Amino acid sequence: MTATVDSTVLTPSVVNVESRSEQGSRSRRARLPAYIGLVIVVGWTVVAATVPLWSPNDPLAPVGARLLEPSRAHLLGTDALGRDVFTRVLWGTRTSLPVAFVVIVASVALGSLVGAAAGFFGGWVDAVLMRVVDITMAFPPILLAMAITASLGPGIRNALIGMVLVWWPIYARLLAAQVQSVRRRDHVESAVAIGASRWLVLRRYVLPLSYTPVLVNATMDFGQVVLLTASLSFIGLGARPPSPEWGAMITEGATNFYNWWIAAGPGVAILSVVLGFNFLGDALRDRLDVRD
Amino acid sequence: MRAGRARSVRILSGIVAAGLLAAACGGGKSGSSGNNVSAQQALIIARSMDINSLDPQRAYCDTCQIYLTAVYETLLGLDPKDNKTLVPRLATKWSSNSAQTEFTFTLNPKAKFADGKPVTSADVKFSWERLKGLAGSASYLASGIASIATPDARTVVATMTQPNSAFLAQVNASYMGVVEQSVAEAKGATTAAATDKAEKWFLANSAGSGPFTLASYKSGQEVRLKRNAAYWGTKAAFPEVVMKQTADAVTQRQQLEQGAVDIAMQLSTDVAKNMNAKNVTVRKVPSFNYVYLALSPGVKGGEALTPDVRKAIRLALDYKGLLDVTVGGAGRSQPSPIPNGFLGTDGLAPPARDVAQAKRLLAQAGVTKLSLSATYPTLNVYGVDFSTAMQKVQTDLKAVGIELKLNPVEISVWASKIGTDGIPVTALYFAPDHTDPSQYVQYFGLMPGSQWQTWTKAPARPQENQLLNQAFAAKSVNERGALYKQLAQAMMDDGVIIPLVNPDLYLAARSDIKGMHYSACCNLDLSQLSRG
Repeated sequence: MTATVDSTVLTPSVVNVESRSEQGSRSRRARLPAYIGLVIVVGWTVVAATVPLWSPNDPLAPVGARLLEPSRAHLLGTDALGRDVFTRVLWGTRTSLPVAFVVIVASVALGSLVGAAAGFFGGWVDAVLMRVVDITMAFPPILLAMAITASLGPGIRNALIGMVLVWWPIYARLLAAQVQSVRRRDHVESAVAIGASRWLVLRRYVLPLSYTPVLVNATMDFGQVVLLTASLSFIGLGARPPSPEWGAMITEGATNFYNWWIAAGPGVAILSVVLGFNFLGDALRDRLDVRD
Repeated sequence: MRAGRARSVRILSGIVAAGLLAAACGGGKSGSSGNNVSAQQALIIARSMDINSLDPQRAYCDTCQIYLTAVYETLLGLDPKDNKTLVPRLATKWSSNSAQTEFTFTLNPKAKFADGKPVTSADVKFSWERLKGLAGSASYLASGIASIATPDARTVVATMTQPNSAFLAQVNASYMGVVEQSVAEAKGATTAAATDKAEKWFLANSAGSGPFTLASYKSGQEVRLKRNAAYWGTKAAFPEVVMKQTADAVTQRQQLEQGAVDIAMQLSTDVAKNMNAKNVTVRKVPSFNYVYLALSPGVKGGEALTPDVRKAIRLALDYKGLLDVTVGGAGRSQPSPIPNGFLGTDGLAPPARDVAQAKRLLAQAGVTKLSLSATYPTLNVYGVDFSTAMQKVQTDLKAVGIELKLNPVEISVWASKIGTDGIPVTALYFAPDHTDPSQYVQYFGLMPGSQWQTWTKAPARPQENQLLNQAFAAKSVNERGALYKQLAQAMMDDGVIIPLVNPDLYLAARSDIKGMHYSACCNLDLSQLSRG
């Protein structure tokens, strides 16, 4: 008599039994973008913080002939004024990253304030604040930022104000929805029932459980703000010359279209920062997002 | 699972985006071929257009010169062979009295407007009086006219308020073109700015006698001209001419290489370099155009711009470097606001950098730390990118201790600011209106009420006016030349206008385009062009 084995019974258990090393390998593969993102973000941050100490050249002064192709002496060549493009790309971090940081922090702060109030108090407060949010979000962000900056006058400070005014509603809406959902939970209602003040309830029982999506979004938005800053500078509303801002440098590259290296450097820099923050945001979402 | 689906969606989106991009590129190509088809009939010119008006007595811009020359004829033309000799256009004969106060023109009896009516002396009188009366930017050309007599339909006698040896050259300026009085008046044209209401009509119609008429104008897009079928002279070769708004030199080059346009004449040196496309001819010719720096001592923020400081700024600039940085060396430095080659510029010392002397002058003026703000239009004119030029100026001034903050703005913002508060430091460009150097004195000199005396609010220098009047009254060319040289030196000493670069002009066209010449009065004469 031959013993028969029913493969349909065995197969699932075979699939489920995954070796620890395979699990580890899969997990490492999943985390790879996060590591890449982290390296990029930390790398650029370090550059921004330390470049004055080791800058290869003066970013504003001509260092050689104009429009030199990339070489050992000038890794990304020189621009129309003979300035070292590589040096200017490095110094560009000192505009793009701080601006993005300020925009995100200010937008999160303003958005959180509005979102928390709307979500927690509900009723007419929610209705009024969310309509303001709706109106702001009805406009494409780049157009609204352009309009605000143009009306305030070109310049990085005004571009920053324009971007904050465009960005805060995203966080307001996000936090309002989260707060609304959390405030109906039992532990919050219990706190209210035993007489805890509204401020205490909001601060201790609601906000800590509502902040995760905001944090994830803020991380992912960082790259978008870098891109928006560059876009505003590209159209002449952001950084003023001769500031080595990436968007402004790309404009110079467009003027000198046949000298590809002038725009390529800042272009790759923007791409890497956006990718880095997206990878990081993705990883953060996978790790923190309650929905997953 | 959800993350996996999101990734798939992202990949799909990427593919769709790439597809759209490819479709867009494909669309561009088919659009080009569409243009190729129309190019068999029409002449297409890629230009960054600076049109302020199409009203012949209000317009004042480089593109306006091309338009006006094509649509509204002047009494005299300029020989394209030498850019100096006056040739008949509407007038067959002309003369002046010995005092240069009275000029008589005899109109060609064959000359007629596009609607078939003859060009009369009354039309000339109306046009010139309207130019003067509307007080626009080009009105200076007619401001010296005291009266215009029309003894008969073919004779025009213009009497000047004072001797004006430049008047014949001024008549040759495209802004002195003749409009059909009866048509213009029917559309609200008068000779006074307060009552004139015809400007809007002129944006869609024309009333000239030139080889072309206006077919349509779309602001920011194109000016479309059609051949004047009833033209009284040699008819234009092209049935239609389209000037297409093409903002930058790179796009102009690409469109020319693709065959989407026939002419691109605003290429920079860097863009024109290595242009070896088939069937495209590029010629580099000297021009009288230039880009300049303007210092306004009389406006808010410009108080520190004393004569010594202005002279120091002039000495601080690296002119050779500016030439190299802005046009790759394709051009010349120019000492005075009167361009090289005009009467009175022979023997003027070329501008030279002297940092030590500049520092000495600043120290002498008691200036230890000076910060100035430069507001300039974001333009790329004659191949000169203003932003690049001003960054070079900024670097040069830094070497003598002057901090220059750069504030590039749109041309409309610039125009509004210069006309109201004024701007301490700015940059602008100029192309000649005609062939006489007087235009530069009238526009850039500090004569009371001149354009730049008004804008800079600098103290007026009536002695420049006296010198100009002497030049107008001078009997010989040598005498006039000597006086204009004095005026050129006086304007250099004023130090409010500092020419930065006099670039060469690149005339780029499809190889089958013939008759393309740079005109000192009119930029480009479309009637001279043909294909073959």
